[in-house]
Amino acid sequence: MPRTGVFLCHCGSNIAGTVNIDQTIEASRNFPGVVHVDEYRYLCSEMGQDIIKKAIEDNNLDRVVVGTCSPRMHENTFRKAAAEAGLNPYLLEVANIREHCSWVHKDMEEGTPKAIALLRAAAAKVALNEALEAPKLEVEKRALVIGGGIAGIQAALDIAEAGYPVDIVEREPSIGGRMAQLEKTFPTLDCSACILTPKMVEAAQHPNINLITYAEVEEVNGFVGQFDVKIKQKARYVDPVKCTGCGICWEKCPAKAPSEFEMGLAKRKSIYVPFAQAVPMVPVIDKETCLYFRKGRCQICEKECPPQAIDYEQQDEIIERRYGAIVVATGFDQMDPSIYGEYGYGQHPDILTGLEFERLFNASGPTGGKVVRLSDGKPPKKVVFIQCVGSRDKARGMNYCSKICCMFTAKQAILLKEKLPDAKSYVFYIDVRTAGKGYEEFQRRAAEEYDVAYLRGQVGKIFPEGDHLVVHGVDSLSGKVVDIKADMVVLSAASIARADAPELGRKIGINTDSYNFFNEAHPKLKPVETHTAGIFIAGACQTPKDIPDTVAQASAAAVKAVGLLSKEMLQGEACTAEVDEAECSGCLHCVAVCPYTAIDAKEIEERYGDGTLKRTVAEVNPALCQGCGSCSAICRSGSINQKGFSNEQILAEVDAICLQR
Amino acid sequence: MAENNVENLKKIREAVSQDLLGGRIDLLLGWEKGHYWWQSRPLFARTEEDLEKLTWDSFCAINLSRYLLDELKDFQKVGVLVKGCDARAFNRLLQDNMVVRDRVTLYGLPCPGMLDYDRLAEVAEAAPEGIIEQNGKVTIKTADGEKSADRDDLLADKCRDCIYPDPVVYDQLLLSPVGKKEAPEKFTAIEKLEEMSAEERYSYWEKELSRCLRCYACRQACPFCSCRECFVEQQNPRWQGRAYQASENFMFHLVRAYHGAGRCIDCGECERACPVDIPLQELNRKLTKDINQLYGDYEAGLDAELEPPLLTYRPDDPAAFSEK
Amino acid sequence: MSTAVNETSAGKEPLIVSFCCNWCSYAGGDLAGTSRMSYPANVKVIRVPCSGRINPMFILRAFQRGADGVLVAGCHPGDCHYSTGNYHGRRRLSAFKRLVEFAGFEPERFEVRWISSSEGDKFAEEMTAMTNKIKALGPNRKMRDARWQKIT
Repeated sequence: MPRTGVFLCHCGSNIAGTVNIDQTIEASRNFPGVVHVDEYRYLCSEMGQDIIKKAIEDNNLDRVVVGTCSPRMHENTFRKAAAEAGLNPYLLEVANIREHCSWVHKDMEEGTPKAIALLRAAAAKVALNEALEAPKLEVEKRALVIGGGIAGIQAALDIAEAGYPVDIVEREPSIGGRMAQLEKTFPTLDCSACILTPKMVEAAQHPNINLITYAEVEEVNGFVGQFDVKIKQKARYVDPVKCTGCGICWEKCPAKAPSEFEMGLAKRKSIYVPFAQAVPMVPVIDKETCLYFRKGRCQICEKECPPQAIDYEQQDEIIERRYGAIVVATGFDQMDPSIYGEYGYGQHPDILTGLEFERLFNASGPTGGKVVRLSDGKPPKKVVFIQCVGSRDKARGMNYCSKICCMFTAKQAILLKEKLPDAKSYVFYIDVRTAGKGYEEFQRRAAEEYDVAYLRGQVGKIFPEGDHLVVHGVDSLSGKVVDIKADMVVLSAASIARADAPELGRKIGINTDSYNFFNEAHPKLKPVETHTAGIFIAGACQTPKDIPDTVAQASAAAVKAVGLLSKEMLQGEACTAEVDEAECSGCLHCVAVCPYTAIDAKEIEERYGDGTLKRTVAEVNPALCQGCGSCSAICRSGSINQKGFSNEQILAEVDAICLQR
Repeated sequence: MAENNVENLKKIREAVSQDLLGGRIDLLLGWEKGHYWWQSRPLFARTEEDLEKLTWDSFCAINLSRYLLDELKDFQKVGVLVKGCDARAFNRLLQDNMVVRDRVTLYGLPCPGMLDYDRLAEVAEAAPEGIIEQNGKVTIKTADGEKSADRDDLLADKCRDCIYPDPVVYDQLLLSPVGKKEAPEKFTAIEKLEEMSAEERYSYWEKELSRCLRCYACRQACPFCSCRECFVEQQNPRWQGRAYQASENFMFHLVRAYHGAGRCIDCGECERACPVDIPLQELNRKLTKDINQLYGDYEAGLDAELEPPLLTYRPDDPAAFSEK
Repeated sequence: MSTAVNETSAGKEPLIVSFCCNWCSYAGGDLAGTSRMSYPANVKVIRVPCSGRINPMFILRAFQRGADGVLVAGCHPGDCHYSTGNYHGRRRLSAFKRLVEFAGFEPERFEVRWISSSEGDKFAEEMTAMTNKIKALGPNRKMRDARWQKIT
C-alpha cells in the first residue's frame, strides 16, 4: 500500500470560495492509501512548499497529491519541491481544483463533491505512479546540413559562426542551388551572383565548414544528439586535391550534354563545372556522356590536365559520420507545365518557364545575356507572362500559391524593359500577391513605370501563327476576349517539392505533407522543427518561399541546431512507452502509428522446450519517444504501455471518478 | 466436390507427400476425418503414414492457418492446405508478423464451400446419416430414406457469404480455381439491426450475449486474435471482469470485435466455433462496413502489403462524431 | 438492466467523464476556468497526453462503472501536438463510436470534440451541451455494472 499525502490549496479564496476545504480534506482522508492530509492558503508559496516537503519527511510519504491550480501551471513547481524532499518527482500528481472546478462552478454544493472526485482520481492514479527518470543523452557537437543552396549555406554559416563544425552535403557538383541560377533578385534588383557568391566562398573557406559536394545522404540512423549518417560521395573522377580548377579539361573535352544549370537551354561538356562561379571549382565527369566511359577512348582531359588530377578509377565512397543535429534544406523544383496542353509548353521554343526565361538575362547564360527568341534569335517585342501555371489549381496542379511568381514576373518584366526598351510585357493573373517589404511598391513600379500590362484573366490557348504565338485569353475585368500576338510566352510554373523528397524524408525520419513538402512540427509555433527531435528544416523544401524568408528560416533553423549542440546533455521525455517483451506478440502496429519512429522491431531469443526460439518484439527508443501514447492505445494486449499515463493509471482514474456521482 | 473427391485427394496427396518426403516441409497441416462423418479435423502429418489419413471433403471448414502459430515453434518448415479463407487468414498472420513467409509452403485449394450438419438436418428433417454429392446436388441419407437438395442451400454460414473461394496467396495451386463468387448481401443483417431503435438493439445484444459462456472459442479460432496474452486474461490491469453478466459480456464482445477493426478477414471462424450461436460476425461486419464507408474500401487478408485502415490516416478523413 | 441499477441512478445527477488531451482541450478547459466560464459540475476531466492515447476500453470501463456520457476532446485535426495522434484517434474512435451505437448505446452517450487551447468558450459550451443532452436522455443503464456503485 502506498503512503500518500493529500494537500489542498485554498488559493486564497480562488478555491476556498466554492470548495469546502474541511469537507474535502475529511473525504480525502478516506481514500485508499492516504495517510496524511493537509491544507494551506497558498501551496505554491515557499511556505506552502515547505509544508509539503516537511510532511514527506515526517510522515515518510511515498506519494503526493496536490489539489491546486492546473498541472499546466505548477506541476513542475510541486514536483521540484517533492524532489527536494527526496521523493522522485514523478510520484506526485496534481488534481486541477482551480481551473477545472472552483472557477467554473457556482457554489460549494457543486464544487465540493467534484473537488473530492478529482482528488480521489488523483490519489488512485498516484498509487500506481512509478519513479521515473528522464533519459540523459549525449550530444555529438557537429551539425549536418543537407542541401547547399542559399538556405543550407546560411544555416551552415550561422552554425559555424557559433563555433560548431558543420558539413554541407550537396547533390550537385557545386553549392549555390536555385539562387545561383537567378540573374537578379526582387525587389532590389541586385545581382544574385554578386550577393550569393561571397557567401559560397565564405562557406567554402570557413574553418568550421566542410563541403561534401556531389554527394547524397544514403541513410540516417540514431536520434537527436546522435544521428549516424551515411553519405554517398559520388565519384567525380577528378582528384579535388590536385585539381586547380584551371578549366583546360572542360575547354578541350569533345563531348557535350544538356546543361542542368541552364535548364537544358545550353550544352555543357562531359567534364564540367555547372557554372562559372562554382564552389568548389572542381569539375566532375558525367559518365553517361563521356567518350572514355562510353567507348573506352578519348582521355583528352587526362592528357591535358596540368596537375594530372583526372582519375578514371575513382569509385563512389560512403562517408559515415555522427551528427548532433541535422538541417534539411533541399529546396524545390519547378513544375513541368507540359501537362497544360493549351499552353503548348515543350512544343515551341519560345514558350518558356520562368526559370528558363531567367537564364536568358544572364551574361553567361545560353544566349550570352541577350534576351532573344530561341527560335530565330530575334529580340522579342511582345512577351506574355502567364501566372499560376500549376499553382492554385485544384483540378490539375497544386492547391497552393507558389508565392514567388508574382514577384519574379514583375522583376523579369522590368528587366526586359531595361534590356529591350521597345518590348512590351503582358501579365495574365488571377490575383497579384505582393505581401512583403517593398514588394507592392516594386510591382506597382512594373505596372506604372515599366509599362507592364496586367490582365486579370486566364489564357485558354496559345498557338503559333506565322512568326508569332497567339495568346488567346479573357480579360475578366472588362469581359473581353484578348488575343495577343506575342513573340515569347513565359509560364510561371508552380514551385513544387523535389520529386525525391518523400524518399529522403523516409531515410531521415521526417514526414512530408500531401504536396511532398517537409512538414514542420507546428504550423505556427515550430516552423523550423520537425517531429523528429534534432532535425530542422529551412527554405523551400518546407513550402515555396522567397530568398528573404528562406534566409530567415535558415538562420532560425541554425539557432535551433546551435541551441541543441550547445547542451552538454539532453534531457529526454520521462513519460515514454515501454514494452513488456514477454507479452508483446510483435505485430508492430505500434510502429505504424508512432509519429517519431521511436519504435523498432527487435529479435529476442526465448526459451522454448529444450532449445530457444527467436521472435520479434517491439522496442522503444526512449530518446526518441515523446510520450504521445498512440502506441499504447493501439496495442490490443496492452503490451506497450506509456509510463505516467499507463493503462492501469487511466483505468484507476476512471474507476475513482465513477465511484462518486 | 465429392464427385471427384478421390481424384482431387490423390492430386493433393501426391503434391504434399513429395514435399514432405523430400524434406521441403517438416509438417503438413491438413484435415483428417473426425469422430463423425460430418466433421473433419486438423491433421498434423509428419510421415507418409500420417498422410494416408488426409482428407478433402465438404466438411473441412476449420481454418488451418491459425495452427501455424504453434506449429512454427516446433517445425522449421510447415506446409498448409489453404482454402480461400485459410489463405486470407495467412495474410492476416503475415501482416501481424506472426508467421515467417519463407518457412511456410501454402498449397492452394480452391473451395466450393463447406457443408453444415445442422443445415443438412434441417433440410432432411431427420438425423442425416451420410451424403452423396453429384452435379451441385446433395442427397442426404437418413433413417427414413433420402432427401435431395441444392448444394448451395446446405452451405455453412461462413461459406454462404464467401466471395473469395480461391486462395489469394499460395505457392502451388493444387486444384482448378472456382472463380470469384458474386458479392452476397453480407451486410443485410447489419442494415436491419441499424434500423432498430437503440433500445431494441441493446435488448437484441443483451439477449444474444447472455448466452455467452466466455469459453473464448471464438478467440481461439480467430486469425486476428494472436496476442500472447489476451486482454481478458490479464490481471494487471484487469480489463475484463469475470462475472457472467451483461456488463462483462458486452465488454468482451465489443472489445473482441473492435480488436478486429480493419483486420477481420470475414472468415466466420468465430461464429462457427461459438457453441451457443452468438452472431459474432454481425459485430465484425458492422466495423468492416463502417470503416469501408468512412475510409475507403479495404478487404483484410487480400493483400498483406496494403496498410490496414486503422494504422493509417488521411488529413481530410471524415469522422463519425456529431461535430465533423 | 436490473432494477437495482435503476434505483441507484434514479434522481442522481448524471456523470460525464471527459478525456482531454493535455495540449489543446485540457488547456482549453484551463482557459474556461481562467475566464470563469461556468459549466455543469457533472463533467469530470481525465488528463491524457493526446486524444490518440484513448483506448476504447477506457470508455467502456467508464460506462461499466457508471458514467452516463463520455466525451473525448482533442486538438483540432492538423494541430496535434504529436502531429498525427488525433488523426489516428479520429479513425479509431469513429469506428468505435459506430460500434457502441450498434450495440445499442444512444449516439449522444459517446462523443468526440476538437477543442483548442484558445477555445475556453467552446470547452464550456461543449461540456454544457453534453450534460444537457445526457440529462435529457436520462441515466445510462447499458453496460452498467450494478455492483460498482455499491462499493461507496
